[in-house]
Amino acid sequence: MQSEFNRCDFHINFRVMGQKVMEERRSSKRCGGVLPFIIGFLATCVLGWVVIPGLFFEDVEQPVRFSHDIHVEGQGMDCESCHYFRDDGSYAGFPANEGCAECHAVDPVEAMEAIAEAGIDSSDYDAIVKAEIGAIEDNLASESDENKQAEREYVVKYLIQGKEVPWLNYQYQPDNVYFSHKAHEGLDIAELAEMKSELSSVVDGAVFDEPAEQNCNLCHLKDIAKNDTPPAFERNILSGYSKTTMKMWKCERCHALKGQPNACYTCHK
Amino acid sequence: MSVARRAFIQMSVGATVGILFTPTVWTALDDVSIWTQNWPWIPKLTYGEAKSLPTVSKMCESGCAVKVRTVAGQAFGTEGNTDNLLSGGGICPLCANGVQVMNSPSRIKAPMLNGKEISWDDAKALVSEKLAAAGSNVAVISGDQTGTVNEVFSGLLVNQGSDAFYSMPSDLQKADKAWTDLMGGSGQIGYDMENADVVLLAGADALESWGPTVANKKAFASNENGTFIFAGPVQTRTASVTSKWVPVPAEGMAAFVLGITYYVLQAGKSVPAADFDQFKAMVMRGYTPAKVEAATGVKADVMAEIAKQLLSADSPVVVPGGSVAANTAAFALNLLLGGAMKVLPEFGKAVETAMTRSEMLKQDILKGVSADVLLVYEANPFYVLPEKIKAGFTVAFDSVNTETTAAADLVLPTPHSYERYDDLASPYGVAVATYSLGTPVSKPTLNVMNAADFVLGLTDLGFESFQEVLEAKVAAVGADIDELAEGSAYVLEESADVSGVTLAANVLGKAAIPVKGNGAVALAPYTLLNVGTANQATTPNAPSTISNNQLIGDNLVVMMASVTAKKLGVDVGSKVKLSGGNGECEALVQVFEGVLPGVVAAPLGMGHTVGDEFSKGKGDNVYKILTVSSEAAAGASTWAGSTVNVAKI
Repeated sequence: MQSEFNRCDFHINFRVMGQKVMEERRSSKRCGGVLPFIIGFLATCVLGWVVIPGLFFEDVEQPVRFSHDIHVEGQGMDCESCHYFRDDGSYAGFPANEGCAECHAVDPVEAMEAIAEAGIDSSDYDAIVKAEIGAIEDNLASESDENKQAEREYVVKYLIQGKEVPWLNYQYQPDNVYFSHKAHEGLDIAELAEMKSELSSVVDGAVFDEPAEQNCNLCHLKDIAKNDTPPAFERNILSGYSKTTMKMWKCERCHALKGQPNACYTCHK
Repeated sequence: MSVARRAFIQMSVGATVGILFTPTVWTALDDVSIWTQNWPWIPKLTYGEAKSLPTVSKMCESGCAVKVRTVAGQAFGTEGNTDNLLSGGGICPLCANGVQVMNSPSRIKAPMLNGKEISWDDAKALVSEKLAAAGSNVAVISGDQTGTVNEVFSGLLVNQGSDAFYSMPSDLQKADKAWTDLMGGSGQIGYDMENADVVLLAGADALESWGPTVANKKAFASNENGTFIFAGPVQTRTASVTSKWVPVPAEGMAAFVLGITYYVLQAGKSVPAADFDQFKAMVMRGYTPAKVEAATGVKADVMAEIAKQLLSADSPVVVPGGSVAANTAAFALNLLLGGAMKVLPEFGKAVETAMTRSEMLKQDILKGVSADVLLVYEANPFYVLPEKIKAGFTVAFDSVNTETTAAADLVLPTPHSYERYDDLASPYGVAVATYSLGTPVSKPTLNVMNAADFVLGLTDLGFESFQEVLEAKVAAVGADIDELAEGSAYVLEESADVSGVTLAANVLGKAAIPVKGNGAVALAPYTLLNVGTANQATTPNAPSTISNNQLIGDNLVVMMASVTAKKLGVDVGSKVKLSGGNGECEALVQVFEGVLPGVVAAPLGMGHTVGDEFSKGKGDNVYKILTVSSEAAAGASTWAGSTVNVAKI
């Protein structure tokens, strides 16, 4: 009797278990079967294409709010006033204090003497600004308060201190690469427009819509020369480079399309 | 519960597959690979305008006219200055490493009193106090042969009532002693090697370490038709490229020159000197070829052949090196030949009370220096002549640590040549009087002060700063300061007056007799600029160019002919101890048949006990085994004739 009872109990338990498995399978089918897979797939696709790429970059502001618009439109300067080829063919990418001081005529010696006379630590920028030192204030060229503040910041933090502004280069390249502006001086946007589709992954297509007179837009931020407040430098949190730094494959592609050499020594030192 | 788990796993798989269809992973991998190339310890380049700025470098004895290459104001290299005739685009091995030395950890960073940092004001007060107490018992040792900084130092001495201005032993000093003291001349001797058709380098290692080596090499290179002959105890690098090497012992160089003079006089050459007859009689009697051959070992026919070449040349010149007697003999021979020896006028002074260059060369440092206060300017006498220097209080002005700064009580850091105003007037040996100006091409990064500015703060010389002194000097020279600042040299083609010059017959007859020490073999010390000089140790990039004939590992190498080695019982690689003077040196033996038998050739400039990793503890200091002997007749001291005993160890 005892063994008959046990056998029966086993059959009952087995049946219950089987029913549960079947319920699970049904439940699974109710969830769509491959649906979780698809959900996961689509979710990460969206994240990977839309959300995550942005997380790789942090915005870093330029050390000074430099307005191209004020200098170009307001003061009638042209690109070559600051960005020019030197006699030896090298390119003066960013202007140095020596050039800026031609217009921002604050005498560093006079200003520092005035700061010292006022008993202010020359490295205490806030105190210098607050003290409204005449040797500085009287020689600021800007008119609006906002622009004057930017100019004041440049003068106090850099010009009179004898420090060059550590401008952030949107196209910053590693030290082992030599990019010659002179060698690329003759690239013509209108001519390159014929390769618009081949260059689509290298150059922003909008550059070809209304070809600018100069070819800066091919590599640099489009119409940077017209902005009033410089855009943030988007710094890659892993590599440290700018989001707009051109990677090697882009250089190589353009070189290949233009029939230029792609040997290592063409660009690498 | 289990349902959720299954769905989660399915979703995870989907998510994993999905992420691979986005650029995220691939971009991240790329960025990580770039991140691995940007370790914080990897130095970053500085970007900016590249310039090539002219200035002068004072690391070698003659000084070089250079161009310093900078980017964004930072110096990174040195090259020759094609605009300056002293360089012609060339540069010496020492000055080529100027930037490396400027950035050396061996630089002195602040004023130091007995090893403790003090302020410049305290240093000034202390030196003022010491000078006041010392009165006229003040001395200066300068390692600069060509700079107006010497006018400032000598002006200080004059104000103190002292004439104890010492220069480090140099060919310039011996030439000046011969020309102005013994022969009664004025100005400075020069040699037009570029336009001479026969050049006899009588002990002058002109293409390696003698005189303005860069200008000499340029002259040698451009003088395609000239015949160059080198005479000396060692077949030096100069001898290796000249037409002929004549083995002559250093102590016999004067006699050798007079042996040639014998033939020149025999050919009827004369000069309107007051003592010409006496000179002629002295040479014809005391320096016959047979006597010279007996004294020096140089065959009479060799001297006759050289005399013939000199006599047949349109513009011959004899360039001496070594003793005062050798210089005197060479100058006398040059006067007889009437060739390419020049007499350069001295430029006007900036500091009115300062000594002339010739006056600054009068004191003989080999006889010793003793003073209550000793000021040492960019010289290293405690490396070269430690036992000869006695001072109550020593102030060392230098840019790098040396044996002298280690021995000094007060060390005052000077700016490196590239960080200061300086000048370079007629280095010894140039054919025409030249003046070059050096301006700062790099900002000082250490707490330094130009020594002349410091001295101008101690005494009244009528100038507030050394820059003012240099402006006055340029005016006295008659040059255009703007042109000088652009790197060109001012050239004065005039010659000094030679009327009244004698041939020093009364002195030369005795002074030219070879005098040798008592050691087993003669010592022939030689200088290679990549090894270093008396004042400047080898520089960071130079050691890799020092050959196994000078240094193996940390061992000094001396060279000798096989017959000498056999006589001494040594062979290639033998370790020996050389004893002479007041010291000893350890060295390895190298056999080289380009050394006169009975002579050991040893390189100067090694064995530093203070300095950077490139010079400290490398080799041994050959200055220790040099013997200072008196050229009694000439009234000078000399190292020529040094001998050593050699023992195998």
